[in-house]
Amino acid sequence: MNGISKLALKESQIMKIHYITGILALFVVAVHILMRLVVPYSSSLEYAHVIANYHNIFYAILLESILVLISIHGFNGVRVILLELRQSKIWENSVTITTIIAMIVLVSYGTRTIILANGLGL
Amino acid sequence: MKMLGQKNNRDNREGLKGWLNPLRYGWERVSYWLQRLTGIFLLVYFVGHVFETSSLVGGRNAWDTMLEMTQTTWGHTFLIMVIGASTFHSANGIRLIFTHVGIGLGKPGRPDYPYYPSSLNTRQRSGIWIALILTAVAMLYGANVLLGGD
Repeated sequence: MNGISKLALKESQIMKIHYITGILALFVVAVHILMRLVVPYSSSLEYAHVIANYHNIFYAILLESILVLISIHGFNGVRVILLELRQSKIWENSVTITTIIAMIVLVSYGTRTIILANGLGL
Repeated sequence: MKMLGQKNNRDNREGLKGWLNPLRYGWERVSYWLQRLTGIFLLVYFVGHVFETSSLVGGRNAWDTMLEMTQTTWGHTFLIMVIGASTFHSANGIRLIFTHVGIGLGKPGRPDYPYYPSSLNTRQRSGIWIALILTAVAMLYGANVLLGGD
């Protein structure tokens, strides 16, 4: 058994992760939307208001958790759909690797925005 | 290799026409496709949302330029669709989690004519209807907030 096979999760474990990330995302996204609704919608999108949100460390952590949870849930969802369409070892490995890379790219790009807007990177 | 006497069963294939015909879809099939379509739509929106919010690091001008492009009637209409898709995906997703662990499936029964699937019972149908009703309510609320002014 090679290294990758040892690290591979069973499909049942991946589905548990899929469900848990989905449920957790529901809660954190609800908080994210509520933050838009506690003030008039147009005011909530003003630059100063949004930057103030990002400077709040708890809100920055909330945004990071949304980013990670939805990326895992979303790209795993795409992986499941693609594996339903076609089955072969090469296809399954290609789809898994591509979705993991896309997930890492999106999380990295979003994290960069959160760090810079929070002021940690300035 | 075709066996002797075997008929060409391609006549039974409807191909894409059968796949796209929604008239024979049961509610489970409709919810199956909607769950996938809304999921893909939401992921595309999420990638776009991460990209659009990155304009924050470009300063006030970059942020205001992005808002000018997105905070339009069409932009708000798109957001109402996002609200609908996320509500359906969440509500139907919870139903699917319950179903996957065996809740709401009912007891297995003997397959008698007219062969209604015992898994598609009142509880399952109610779950799909609740998801659709919640979607409509969330979209109306979103339309009120986004298009109704402050």
